[in-house]
Amino acid sequence: MTAGTVLASSFIVPLFMLVAALGQRTRERLSDLLPFAPLPALLAALVVPDGTIVVLPRSLLGITLSLDKPGAMLLGAASLLWIAGGIYARQMLQDAARAVRFAIWWLTTLSGSLGVFIAADMIGFYFFYTLVSLAAYGLVAYDETAATRRASTIYVALALLGEAFLLMAFVLLAAATPGNSLLISDAVAALRSSPWRDITMLLIVLGFGLKIGLVPLHVWMPLTYSAAPIPAAAVLSGAAVKAGVIGLIRFLPFDVSLAGWSEVLMVLGFVSAFYGVAIGLAQTNPKAVLAYSSVSQMGLLAAVLGMGLGSGSRAALLPVAFYAVHHMLAKGGLFLALGAAAARRGSALLVLVPTVVLALALAGLPFTGGQLAKMAIKDPLGDGVASVLAQISAIGSALLMLHFLYLFRAGIAEAPADRPSAAAVVAWLMMVFAALALPWFLFPTLDGASRADAFTLQELWGAAWPILIGGLLAALLWRWRTRLPRIPEGDVLFIAERCAPTVSRLGAAFERADGVLRQWPIASMCVALLVVLTALALAMPA
Amino acid sequence: MSTASVATTSSGYLLVLAVMWPVIGILLSFVVSGRQIERLAWIVLPVGLVIAGATLIAVTQAGQSQIYVVGNWAPPLGIALRADGISVAMMMATAIVICVTGVFAHGEFSQPPGGPEERAPVVFWVLLFAIWSALNALVLGSDLFNLYVALELLTFAAVPLVCLKGKKETVEAALRYMLFALIGSVLYLLGAAMIYGAYGTLDIRLLSERGHAEPATLIAASLMTIGLLAKTALVPLHLWLPPAHAGAPAPGSAMLSALVVKGSFFVIIRIWFDAMPDLLSFRAAQLLGALGAAAILLGSVLALRQQRLKLLIAYSTIAQIGYLFFVFPLAAGLATGVAWSGIAWTASWLQLFSHAFAKAAMFMAAGLIAEALGHDRIAELGGIGRKLPITMLAFALSGLSLVGVPPSGGFSAKWLLLLATVMEGQWWWAVVIVLGGLLAGGYIFMVLGRLLASPTEVPALQAPVSRWRECAALSLAICAVLLGIWPLQSSDFLFIGR
Repeated sequence: MTAGTVLASSFIVPLFMLVAALGQRTRERLSDLLPFAPLPALLAALVVPDGTIVVLPRSLLGITLSLDKPGAMLLGAASLLWIAGGIYARQMLQDAARAVRFAIWWLTTLSGSLGVFIAADMIGFYFFYTLVSLAAYGLVAYDETAATRRASTIYVALALLGEAFLLMAFVLLAAATPGNSLLISDAVAALRSSPWRDITMLLIVLGFGLKIGLVPLHVWMPLTYSAAPIPAAAVLSGAAVKAGVIGLIRFLPFDVSLAGWSEVLMVLGFVSAFYGVAIGLAQTNPKAVLAYSSVSQMGLLAAVLGMGLGSGSRAALLPVAFYAVHHMLAKGGLFLALGAAAARRGSALLVLVPTVVLALALAGLPFTGGQLAKMAIKDPLGDGVASVLAQISAIGSALLMLHFLYLFRAGIAEAPADRPSAAAVVAWLMMVFAALALPWFLFPTLDGASRADAFTLQELWGAAWPILIGGLLAALLWRWRTRLPRIPEGDVLFIAERCAPTVSRLGAAFERADGVLRQWPIASMCVALLVVLTALALAMPA
Repeated sequence: MSTASVATTSSGYLLVLAVMWPVIGILLSFVVSGRQIERLAWIVLPVGLVIAGATLIAVTQAGQSQIYVVGNWAPPLGIALRADGISVAMMMATAIVICVTGVFAHGEFSQPPGGPEERAPVVFWVLLFAIWSALNALVLGSDLFNLYVALELLTFAAVPLVCLKGKKETVEAALRYMLFALIGSVLYLLGAAMIYGAYGTLDIRLLSERGHAEPATLIAASLMTIGLLAKTALVPLHLWLPPAHAGAPAPGSAMLSALVVKGSFFVIIRIWFDAMPDLLSFRAAQLLGALGAAAILLGSVLALRQQRLKLLIAYSTIAQIGYLFFVFPLAAGLATGVAWSGIAWTASWLQLFSHAFAKAAMFMAAGLIAEALGHDRIAELGGIGRKLPITMLAFALSGLSLVGVPPSGGFSAKWLLLLATVMEGQWWWAVVIVLGGLLAGGYIFMVLGRLLASPTEVPALQAPVSRWRECAALSLAICAVLLGIWPLQSSDFLFIGR
């Protein structure tokens, strides 16, 4: 088996499982396959050598796949999360009436989510991106309540909007690429001299910004994660969101310094980083708090990428991927903890302690992967304003995570007696272990990084003090906790929803116009008018 | 190409066969009994498919048009059939859709066993043959009068399809359709007569050599174009389409939406890209494009607001027809060899074919759903997806092609079309194309969400649904998806003979 076959099987195997589901017998057992679907991708991340490139045959759209270091890191971590999520989902779906449907959406989202990390051409990337974006609709809509209907509708509307931005961006990239090449690397190299450079950049930032939840395009995140069942929320918040991160890594032109765009990304990023914390503190649903934490964390990543774009070097990419890997594992683990806690109510402390560690890891707790993640992005951030802002955002993260832990603990006490599930605990433990251990293995692959650095007093203190200040702030806030404002999930979404009547009126106007045009006298007049207009248009020289 | 070279080519007989074979089917239908007519179709359809395939191969291998000169009288005295790249592509798509429709219609238009012979099945199969023959004549015709005859045959075969079941509102819809189509015919005929008066010929090749921009020619051209727009139901001339396409029985709707409206569009292409390639002014091309844009917006928004599935699909057809008209502003440079026109040209044909397959599949799926439930109210479709998974898959795949999700013909078409708008600096069409895709996503997900919902009570099926008919719908949806394998560049095949 060649490296190329292994790489291609990362998305072909899950898609093949979907095809197999056309058969009655496979269909009935489809949910049993979920934990196994990401295995080829895990294998690919482990064994396929760096720099492998495969061109698939035309019947598979001629997609080009390649594996580089950031891609391999994200692919491996994402497949781990999908395995853990699959173990949980398989248990959840036993005897569930909508099991097959959920499994189909799951496998579709999964193949897209893993595929984006290895796609090297624009059509392939767009294909996988579409799979992961649109198929997630079915995962969000699983519990058929009013809340999930609203969340999934808003989600799919914004996902389609993101698709539209990216389609146009890719077309502009293709138009500026010399020859017929559709490779992402060729397109990005040509972007510098593209006559449509700024509009392309705008569309790329908007499209991927929607996916990673840059403010104000984040409104779908809290709604979606709150509405989705726990395993779905875990893989969506952990793995699916990273489609946006890899998108920015792949499509931003890091080889040249683009004045202006670097600042745009940094401003958007830091605004999101702080906005996410502020609104997250006003949430009462732990899932929504985790969602706002994602807004904040992804904002920080966007800011780092902005710095990288300004420096005109690719040095920031691997650190960003590393940070994203840690976020993926930790966030997935935290969502799964919500399920594990419900399953292990008798011994809540067993769940609580690792969760505290995992939650604070997101703020950079010493000795965790979080500390390494913060260390990794230190270089790209430089030592100017950006570095200070990043440290303040770490304080914010600590504060937000303490808020989450408070809600989490309160939630354990009053959680409804769910079905005790060993699978939930296994899946959760797997992610806790991965989030704590995996970064230590990956860290030395970064340029000029060694594990020993993490144990210097300076680094340990640097990681610890934002958490201590966060704890202090939390203690202060505790006194006013009853007076904190309560902001609905999706915050500024209400503005958009207020426009709904206007949109509806616009639709009604179209309907009236159609009614008028479809009357005989009007239509006949249109015929005459068009004959005259066409004749005039033909006669007049351009 | 000079007139002297017009002679029958080696595979020319295939063209006559393509036109005459369905006519033989019609003649035989009057001979055999009503019960035998469906069995007759089982012979006519596959053989017709083979003829279309053979023609396709012949033209591809020769790399040039195949011609049949009737009675060896060269134009302008005689008439000729000519198959170039776009005609054989149309022939093939027509054959596929007609054959699958034939499979789908089995059961719905079969004579009830035992009972007295019914009229509707007999009429249906005869109309199906007639539409096929008319479309083949239309894509092979090489002079404007031939095209007129083919168009009329097409219209008169299409109109009765709408009211086959004889309900009052469908008869009304059919009359509306016929009257408006006749207005179109009159305009076309008037234009053709003026052309004949000015040039003494209606042969497309000769016109392309002789035609020049004088008032009579321009007025004639605009009369013919608008007449054809009325038959194509381009906004604002779409008054007849929603009731006709939504009211017809499912196999009828499939043919009407997938093929019949494309027939008149094909003639517009023949006029502007073959007969008078130099006369299409920038403004006229922009005007046609603007009507297309209006169709996309109006059709998509109206589709979003429909409460009945078949009406939603009909309005979606209005929107999808709009995309076809971007060929005029974007491929206008074809005659003068502007490089990017080839991309737009390829894109437009991809759009035409993928819409043909996807829309036929969608109308079939909607027909099966309506049959199973006894209604097609979108709000009450919940849970049908579990009862009819194959139908739902057909609907989903064809819907995704309409939205432009890869891999599908719809995606490839949209990609190339957008590429052409960018390269030619006509970005305003790109805005409409992207917006249209968003709105299409809206109405497709609206329906899919309902199909997938599982209400507490799964609806009881009023009638059993045949697995064969479900697979027929699915096969066309898969055709639409497979078109996505088409390479994303200008296609040489569609340039054969030009």
